[in-house]
Amino acid sequence: MNHRHLLPTEIDLLLDDEEGFGVAPLKAHVRACPECLARLEEARIVSDAIEELPHFAPSFSFADSIMAQVPVYVPWHVAARDTVRSAIQRWAPASRPARVAVVGLAAAVASVLTIGILWIATQTDLLVFATGIADTRLRELLLTGGRDAMTSLFGAQTVALASQAGTAGLVLLVGGFLGVTAAATFGLRTIALSSSRRRA
Amino acid sequence: MATALDLSNLPDADVVALAQAGREPAFRELIRRYERPVFSLIYRMIRDRELAEDLAQDTFIKVLNHIDRYRPEFKLSSWLFKIANNVAIDHLRRRQLDTISMDGSPHAATSDAIESTSFEVAGSQESPLEELEAKELGNAIEQAIGQLRPEYRSCIMLRHVEGRSYEEIATTLDLPLGTVKTYIHRARHELRRALEHLKAEGEV
Repeated sequence: MNHRHLLPTEIDLLLDDEEGFGVAPLKAHVRACPECLARLEEARIVSDAIEELPHFAPSFSFADSIMAQVPVYVPWHVAARDTVRSAIQRWAPASRPARVAVVGLAAAVASVLTIGILWIATQTDLLVFATGIADTRLRELLLTGGRDAMTSLFGAQTVALASQAGTAGLVLLVGGFLGVTAAATFGLRTIALSSSRRRA
Repeated sequence: MATALDLSNLPDADVVALAQAGREPAFRELIRRYERPVFSLIYRMIRDRELAEDLAQDTFIKVLNHIDRYRPEFKLSSWLFKIANNVAIDHLRRRQLDTISMDGSPHAATSDAIESTSFEVAGSQESPLEELEAKELGNAIEQAIGQLRPEYRSCIMLRHVEGRSYEEIATTLDLPLGTVKTYIHRARHELRRALEHLKAEGEV
């Protein structure tokens, strides 16, 4: 049997309501020792007094002063979610049957579109073939139309000469045409401006 | 969006999540929950109300401006108390003030200023005699706490005023568990001695 009085650390163990193998003998000693019981009670009075110390309140504007220095950012994904939610709340029908009908209709449209896209994707070969034909026809159309336009502008002999000269000849022909057009435009503008100045 | 009434019923982790989503009411709810404990801890550490309020604001500003770093497996209160304790200790070290006086701020120049910065504890007992005894004991405790080393002071307040476990205090203050137990044991010992001394002088 332990006849010594409790150490201060052992008093602390009892004060903290610790449980465990070594605590039971301490509790037994306190029950049998008035001096240690008195020390434990004094320690408990001090602990209780500390625990009853009040919380002090800061000033009324404490929170406002803090928030003035804390910028509140809404993350982009939260802002996007809020936008979608508010749009749904704004446009969604008020009554439940109407909301069910809208959702059903949207689901039906989405299903039809999905099936359509899937069908088109399965027809890839057909798409490639049709695109090739369309490309060839478009090129032919452009070449024929361009040749007809050049013939009407410069005459068949000039076009034949340019064709023999190749790409360089064609560029020379078109560039020459554009240069003459620009010079004529500039000259006409100059004449018009000078005549309007004379009248003024 | 959660209303103010709803926020008060949410656990800290949920309120922090709302704050991280940019909800200002969530920030204010966090301030409402912890303004008194944080301010009280700092005020008892440095015993200058105006400065304690500035330091408490700094504590919240630091935490709330980095709220995105919060991890739910840790307690928000521990983070707050850790920063509060650090700012108070830093202030005491800068001012080389290890103890605080019950009798007004060292910066108080007039009697009104002394009175407004003195610690005065209100009793909450029923009878006037019990209320007086509680008030005197409370004042004596405040005086005795003011005489403790800052490290002992923060440990004893987190243990008994905030009800934190030894492990939580060790995590909050970045101290080994054994050191926390030692500090609290020594703080209790010094408080008991101080109260016995006051009792002997007839002040309690």
